[in-house]
Amino acid sequence: MVLEEEIPKFTAWIGPALVSWLFVAGLVAVFAAALAWLVQSALYGPLAAGDRVYRGILGTLADLAGMSPRRIWALARLAVQESLRRNVLVVLGLFAVIVLFAGWFLDPASVNPGKLYLGFILSATNLLVCLVVLVLSVFSLPADIKAKAIQTVTTKPVRTGEIVLGRMLGFALVGTVLLALMGAVGWAFVVRSVRHEHELLAADVLEMKAEDGSITGLEGRTNLARGHRHRVELGPDGTGRTDTVQGHRHAVRAVETVAGRAYEVGPPEGLLEARKPLRGTLRFLDRQGKPSTKGISVGAEWSYRQYIEGGSLAAAIWTFDGVTEREFPDGLPLEMIVRVFRTYKGEIEKGIAGSVRVRNPSTGLQSDPIYFTAKEFTIDSLLIPRQLAATTTDGGTRQVDLFGDIVTDGRVEVVLQCLEPAQYYGVAQADFYLRRGSGSFVANYAKSCLGIWFSMLIVTALGVMFSTFLAGPVALLAALSVVLVGQFREFIQRLFESQVTGDSKIVPGGGPIESLYRIVTQTSITLDLDPNPAVTAMKALDTVLLAPMRLGAAIFPSLSALGTSDFLAGGFDIPWDLLGAHAMETLGYLVAFFVVGAVCLKAREVAA
Amino acid sequence: MHAEPGTSRGAGDQDVIVAARNLSKTYRDFWGRSKKVALKPLDLEIRRGEIFGLLGPNGSGKTTTMKLLLGLIFPTSGEALVFGKDATDVSKNERIGYLPEETYLYKFLDAEETLDFYGRLFDMPPEERKRRADALITMVGLSRDKKRQLKEYSKGMTRRIGIAQALINDPELVLLDEPTSGLDPIGTREMKDLIIDLKKRGKTVIMSSHLLADVEDVCDRIAVLHQGELKELGRVEDLLRVTDVTQIRARGLPAAAVDELRAVLQRHGAADIEIGNPTTTLEELFLEVVRDTEARPGRRARQADRNG
Ligand SMILES: Nc1ncnc2c1ncn2[C@@H]1O[C@H](COP(=O)(O)OP(=O)(O)O)[C@@H](O)[C@H]1O
Ligand SMILES: [Mg+2]
Repeated sequence: MVLEEEIPKFTAWIGPALVSWLFVAGLVAVFAAALAWLVQSALYGPLAAGDRVYRGILGTLADLAGMSPRRIWALARLAVQESLRRNVLVVLGLFAVIVLFAGWFLDPASVNPGKLYLGFILSATNLLVCLVVLVLSVFSLPADIKAKAIQTVTTKPVRTGEIVLGRMLGFALVGTVLLALMGAVGWAFVVRSVRHEHELLAADVLEMKAEDGSITGLEGRTNLARGHRHRVELGPDGTGRTDTVQGHRHAVRAVETVAGRAYEVGPPEGLLEARKPLRGTLRFLDRQGKPSTKGISVGAEWSYRQYIEGGSLAAAIWTFDGVTEREFPDGLPLEMIVRVFRTYKGEIEKGIAGSVRVRNPSTGLQSDPIYFTAKEFTIDSLLIPRQLAATTTDGGTRQVDLFGDIVTDGRVEVVLQCLEPAQYYGVAQADFYLRRGSGSFVANYAKSCLGIWFSMLIVTALGVMFSTFLAGPVALLAALSVVLVGQFREFIQRLFESQVTGDSKIVPGGGPIESLYRIVTQTSITLDLDPNPAVTAMKALDTVLLAPMRLGAAIFPSLSALGTSDFLAGGFDIPWDLLGAHAMETLGYLVAFFVVGAVCLKAREVAA
Repeated sequence: MHAEPGTSRGAGDQDVIVAARNLSKTYRDFWGRSKKVALKPLDLEIRRGEIFGLLGPNGSGKTTTMKLLLGLIFPTSGEALVFGKDATDVSKNERIGYLPEETYLYKFLDAEETLDFYGRLFDMPPEERKRRADALITMVGLSRDKKRQLKEYSKGMTRRIGIAQALINDPELVLLDEPTSGLDPIGTREMKDLIIDLKKRGKTVIMSSHLLADVEDVCDRIAVLHQGELKELGRVEDLLRVTDVTQIRARGLPAAAVDELRAVLQRHGAADIEIGNPTTTLEELFLEVVRDTEARPGRRARQADRNG
């Protein structure tokens, strides 16, 4: 799983987040009031306009204060009834079809079927639920205005805020029920799809003998199931594990029956997991062994991973904090995803040898290396035991205790090196951690659905907000644009930066018009255009077009950033700190969309 | 006819329930360009307990006036005050009932659900909602159809449920936009009786109509609008009294007396003398037929030439 930024503690995050929310909200409010005044001035003159805006603000505040739960609930119920009348439940049928198709075309023999199935099911659920609530919310209010049913409602003591909130609530309720049902079906589908059994026949198990003829162990191969089989290495008594294929392995046990020895292969382990990692911070030593903040970049790769050279003094060092004997009584269960960059092919099957050492950050005392081979695309695990060997200054060896001698104040350093010359290890801070144990996978799945729920809430609120002042189809387009701009928010930010600084290296190819020009004329994006007045004008126009998008990118929600299916599919427990931040972020958008919607509806002549 | 004296004279200021001051409305398009001057500056005061009629042909600005009074649209100039508050103030809606010119309700609800829904919008507790809904459904005669979705309702039934929802909160001020449109003569009669009954219970009613008979039968005061302009305003009987014509009505007058009367009138110099049998209104005829049929079901239709 890729984790580009550290997940901040919720308590540390909430303060600054709240401040920036208030700042942006205040700015938008002032800007909106100014705009309203300008528009009104054109119609009624500046003084009357000021009066109208002022009374509008007072009226909105009074309305917000006068909201009643019973009215909101009545309107929410109405929205639910309307949704049912529009046959939203049909979407469940659609989902069922998608699930059936998924079972048919998703490859069960893929590298990590659990990840594939989870990713697919969650994306499908997310997309469907969000689309449904978007369509419902966007068309509801305009339909009411068109059918004039709104006139009978607004002549009751109903606050516009209640109309907006009631709708948001009602459609969110529909979305919640849909999500719960789809989530449950998806869950059953994934669990059922990854579950499988292997058989290990006694005839397929060979004894491995030492030179003196004693049996050192057993070796064999399971049968093929779901497109894969496992190699098995067992102790002489017939118990052991299979190797890891497709992200899982099985326990194996021998049972004696009247017909002789048989083997029982257990259920898959490690497929649907919720690992809880303790992550550290990463720094590097270069090939001469001097500290450096970076590893080596191996070319066109994205900078998430840094590389260390094998057979040199280059090393990656993680510092872990909060390591306690109570939590890790048996030693440090290290898990790592190490990428290998080969300058020569070698034996692809074999993996690349490396070593890990633990070091006391204050005294520098370090253990002797523990060797392992890095296999690609899997999570390598390695237990650093309590009792370790260390080389003393005089060249002798002594036993050190992990918690007695190495870990100080809960802090420990782990040093990774690649041993094979001219091969490289690619490492990332998040991909090397101490395994704290596992959370419940069901709970993790539910947390991931909670992420979808947040997106669904935002989409609902967005749709209702736009529907307060736009006709249905236009509101739909507007909401989709906001979601899209939010989705590409980082790209748009970089594109804009590239545009105003004129630095084409940040994002090559220019803004929308320049890109179009390049496509039409088939000009490479890396080629700078000859400066002439036309090109200058084009670039200027691009800047003008990009400015509002840049503004939008700064304040629109990014739904993909709320998604946590990467954690789930990658087998990591979704941290509460992240969920908490997402919940608050969602709340921030909901409040903003609600207020904008209520103000717009109030300012509107619903009967004109 | 049903006018009660005193309501519009000598009343204190708190008795002015609705006031329009220089109220006008110009509909604009999206770009703010004016499309239609629907109401020219209007000054109006409506007092507690009266039935006020807005009379005018189609498109004369009756609905526009009502919507302005309800805050559904915003005035281009001037102000509309209801219970002393600006018309856009929602809290006034607690005491208002409104029947739009066509009944705009949610077609997928049935009558009970509809009234329950609007009752909730008045923040009424469940027992009160139930009680009022039941009473109103009985009052408008929809007891048998209360479980049917509104989309199955006929125009008249829709109108009835419309009036029921307008009265769900027992309002002090009732605005009825063309209340009799789409109703058969019986329905019309019932609607008029209902309006008069509202007045008896101390409510103020503002109704609009282009049907002169409706307005004449129930309204105390009327405003006549034409092309958005106020043409007449006053008590119905004052407006309708033709001061230079005298009407004499009598039952059982022998034919000889008619000639004698005519001679007397001529002697006094009266012009345009008309003496004859009055015709009844078609409305009254219709009501008589219905009453008759209900009393003696199965009887054949009367011939129009029954009197030979
Ligand atoms: N939303 C609107 N936009 C433009 N013109 C309108 C609108 N509503 C009403 N009008 C016009 O205003 C005038 C008055 O309409 P209305 O008040 O509905 O008349 P009435 O109720 O007396 O029949 C009509 O000419 C009508 O066409
Ligand atoms: Mg009208």
